[in-house]
Amino acid sequence: MALLEIDDVRAGYGSGPDILNGVTIRIDEGRSACIVGPNGAGKSTTLKAVAGLVKVRSGEIRFDGDRIDGLRPDEILRRGVCFVPQDRSLFPDMTVRENLAMAGYSISSKGELQRRIDEALEMFPILAERRTQRARTMSGGQQQMLALARAWILRPRLLLVDEPTMGLAPQVVQEVFAVIQRFRDTGMSVMLVEHNVKEGLGCADWGYVLDLGRNGFDGPSESILANPSVRELYLGKSVARHTEKIL
Amino acid sequence: MSEKVTEAPAVPAGPVAAAAPAAREGRDRRKLVLALVLLVLLCVPLLYPVLVTYSYWLQMLTIAFMWIAMASSWNILGGFAGYISLGHNVFYAVGAYASAAFFVHVGISPFITAPLSGLICVALGLGIGLITLRTRGPAFIISTIALMLIARILFDRWGWLGGSNGISLPMLDFGSSSLVKVPFYYGMLLCAVLVVVASYRIKKSKFGLGLRAIAEDEVKAEVAGINTRMYKVAAFAISGFFIGVVGALWGYSLFYLRPEAFLTLAVAADMVLMAIIGGRGTIAGPVIGAVLIVAFNEVAVSQLGSSEANIAVTGGLLILVLMAFPLGIVGTLRERGRLPRILDWD
Amino acid sequence: MSQIVQLTILGILLGGVYAVMATGLTMVYGVMGIINLAHAGFMVIGAYISFEMFSRWGVDPFVSILVTGPALFVIGVVTYRLLFAPITENPRFGEMTVLVSFGLALVIEGLLGAGFTNIYHRSDVSYGTATWDLGAIFIPQGQVYGFAASLVMLGLLWAFLYLTKTGYAIRATMQNRSAAQIVGVNVDRVSTIAFGIGVGTAGAAGSLLSYLFTFFPGAHWQWIALLLSLIVVGGLGSMGGALVGGIGLAIVAAYVTDIFGPTWSQMTFYVALFIVLLVRPQGLFGKPLPA
Repeated sequence: MALLEIDDVRAGYGSGPDILNGVTIRIDEGRSACIVGPNGAGKSTTLKAVAGLVKVRSGEIRFDGDRIDGLRPDEILRRGVCFVPQDRSLFPDMTVRENLAMAGYSISSKGELQRRIDEALEMFPILAERRTQRARTMSGGQQQMLALARAWILRPRLLLVDEPTMGLAPQVVQEVFAVIQRFRDTGMSVMLVEHNVKEGLGCADWGYVLDLGRNGFDGPSESILANPSVRELYLGKSVARHTEKIL
Repeated sequence: MSEKVTEAPAVPAGPVAAAAPAAREGRDRRKLVLALVLLVLLCVPLLYPVLVTYSYWLQMLTIAFMWIAMASSWNILGGFAGYISLGHNVFYAVGAYASAAFFVHVGISPFITAPLSGLICVALGLGIGLITLRTRGPAFIISTIALMLIARILFDRWGWLGGSNGISLPMLDFGSSSLVKVPFYYGMLLCAVLVVVASYRIKKSKFGLGLRAIAEDEVKAEVAGINTRMYKVAAFAISGFFIGVVGALWGYSLFYLRPEAFLTLAVAADMVLMAIIGGRGTIAGPVIGAVLIVAFNEVAVSQLGSSEANIAVTGGLLILVLMAFPLGIVGTLRERGRLPRILDWD
Repeated sequence: MSQIVQLTILGILLGGVYAVMATGLTMVYGVMGIINLAHAGFMVIGAYISFEMFSRWGVDPFVSILVTGPALFVIGVVTYRLLFAPITENPRFGEMTVLVSFGLALVIEGLLGAGFTNIYHRSDVSYGTATWDLGAIFIPQGQVYGFAASLVMLGLLWAFLYLTKTGYAIRATMQNRSAAQIVGVNVDRVSTIAFGIGVGTAGAAGSLLSYLFTFFPGAHWQWIALLLSLIVVGGLGSMGGALVGGIGLAIVAAYVTDIFGPTWSQMTFYVALFIVLLVRPQGLFGKPLPA
C-alpha cells in the first residue's frame, strides 16, 4: 500500500474553475517524487490539496490507506503530513527560536519539543547563529532553512515542499537540496514541486510531469530528464536542446 | 490540371454570424424601449388635470429619480472601483447647504447653483480622497464614516447655516401647491439620466477599465502602471459631484434644511443597499435597486409604521443579499444567462 | 496647573474604558481581517441588558458584567458561525465583512429601537455623579471604578492571550494566519473563539457604558466611528495600540472638551484619524503598510 495516493482528483480555489482535472499520483513509504510542469499546470495546487488548503471536488486522497481529503489542515498535519509553502509562511515578528517553538504547537511534551528544537539548531548551524533574530529580517535562503527546520521538528512521514528554491542564489539552492536529501536519508517521504527541473528530479526517485491539471508523463527521474519529447514539451525546444548539451 | 477554386464565404456562417444581427436588433429594441419610458416619464407632469393622486406620484417619482442618481453615483466608486463609502451622504448635505447658502445670502436659485455645489463636492472629494485613499486597506471605509460624523457635528454647530435648527429657504412660486414640485421632478429626472449616461460612459472608458482593474486586484493594477491613487481619488470626487447636485435640488424642494435630514446612517445605508441589491458594478443595477428600495420603503412605512423596523429590515436585506446574491439582481441574472436584454445596459 | 492635572486624570480614566471597548475590535481585525461595524451595536446591547438589570432588579452595572460578557460571547460565536465563517473563502472577504457587519449594525439598531424606543437612557448609580475632592482636583468615582474594571478586563485578556494555549494560538494566527495553519493551529476554531471574545468584551464594556454615558439605539454609530478611528490611530490589529491610542486620545479629548465644549470631544478622534492617515497611515503600532 502506498503512503500517499492521489486518486483522480479534481480541485480548484473557492468557486473558481478546476485547476486539477483528474490528477493521479502515488508515493510509497520512504520514496520521493518531484512534480514539474509549465506554469499553471497545477503543481502547487496538488500539494495544497494534499495539505487540505484547497478543496477536493472529486476523487480521493489517501494517506496510509485513510482518506484525508475533506479534513482540516491541522488534522492532516497530525497524521504526519507537513507542508512547506512557497512563501515559507513564517511568523515574521517571532525569532528563530520562537518560530521553532511554535512549530511544536501540536507536540504535547515540552521536554520532547525542547529536544527537537536543540536537534534542529544543531542540524542547521546557520539558524543556531541567528536564534534570536526575527524571521522578517532574514534572507530568503535563511528563511527557507527555517521553514525546513520547522518541518523537521514536526517529524512528518510525508513532507510537501513547494518551490523551495524560488528566488534563491545558486549556492543556496545547493544547500537547500542538501537538506532535503538529508531528510530523505532518514526515511522521510518527500513530494516536491520545483521549477529547477534538473535539481528537483535529482532529489527524487520518481518524476511527475503535469500540464493543465492533468498527468502528462511520469517515470523514474532519470528517464524524465533523458526523455527528449518531455524536455521539448515542457522546457521549450531551444531550452531542451541546451539542457541536452549540459546533461 | 484544373484547379479547384474554393471561395471563402463572403459572410461567416454559423452561430456567430447569426448572433450579430440579433444582438444589434436587441440593442435597438432596448434603446427604443428606454426612449419610450423616458417619453412617458417626461409627460407625467402633464397629467395634472387628470390624476387625482398627482402630488403623490410626482413626489414618489421625484424621489425615485433622486435615488437612482445617488445610487448610480455611489456605484462609480463602490461598484466600479470596489471602494465602499459608508458616509457618502456627506456630499448630499454639502450640496444642499452650499446651494441653500447661495440662495439665502446671494439670492441665486439652487437650480442654477446646483452644478456649482456639485463642483464644491468635487473639491471636497479631491481633498479628502487624497488623504484617505493613499492606502489599500479598510482605512478608507472607516474614514468615510468619520467624515459623515464630522460633517454632522460641523453642520449642527454652524450658526451661519442655521445649526441644528436648520435653515429655511424662500418658497418657489410656480402656480398651485401641487405644480410647485414639477420643476424638481424634471430636475431630478435630468440628473438621473445624466448620471446613468455618465456612469455608462465611464465604465466604457479607459478610466473605467482602470477602476475595474483596481477592484479586481489593486496590486496587479499598480504593477501594470495604473496610478491607482489618482484613479480612486478621481472616482471619489466624480461620484460626489452628482450627489451634490441632487442634494442641492432636494434641499430646495424641502424648503427647509436640517443636518438631521441628510446626515443619518439610514441615508448612507440606503445608498449602499440600492447599489448592492441591484447589482454592484453594473449600470442598470443601481437603477433597479433604487426603484425597488424606494417602493419597498414606501410600502414598509405604511405597513410597519415605525422607522426603527425599517432600519432593521434594511440591514436584514443587506445581509441577505450579500450572503445569497452577492452580485445583486442584475449581476446574478447575468451570471445565470437570464438577464433580459432590456436590463443589460453594460 | 491643577486644571492640567485634572484634565489629564479624566483623560486617563476614560481612556482606559475606550481601550477596553476598542480592544475586541482591533483583535478581531488582527486575527481574521474582519472590520466588525456591529461591534458598537453589541456594546449597546450590553448597555441595555445592564440598564434593564439595574432599573428592574437594582443589579449594579459591574455585577452585570458577569452577564453581559458571557452572553455577548455566545452571541459573538453564533454571529461568526452564521455570517462570517461561511464567507471565509470568498476572495472579497474583507469588503464583505464590512458590508455584512454594517447590515448587522442596522439590524441591531432597528431591533433595539423597536424594543426600547428612542429614549435616552443611563443607569443612575450612586457613584455616577459622586466625586472625591482632593483640593482643587475632582476625581469622579464612577470613572475610577470604570477605569479599574477596564484594567481588570484588559489584564484578564492579556493573561488569556499570553498564558493559555488557545491564546497562544490566537496570537500566532494574528501574526500569520497561514503559518499558524501549517503548524497545526485549528484556525477555524481560533477565529470563532477570537470573535466571541471580541464581542464579549464589547458586551462587558457595554455595562460600563450604561452608567458612564447616555445611550440610545442609534448611539452605536458614533461609538463605532470613534472606536474605528481609535484603532486606526493605534494601528489596526494592535491591542497595545488600542490602549495607548485610547488613553492618549482621551487625554486630548479632555482638553478639547474643556476649551471648546463637550460636543467637540468626538471630533478629536476623527481629526486624529485624518492626521494619522496623512502622516503615518499604519498607525502608532501598526506594521508598515504596502502603499
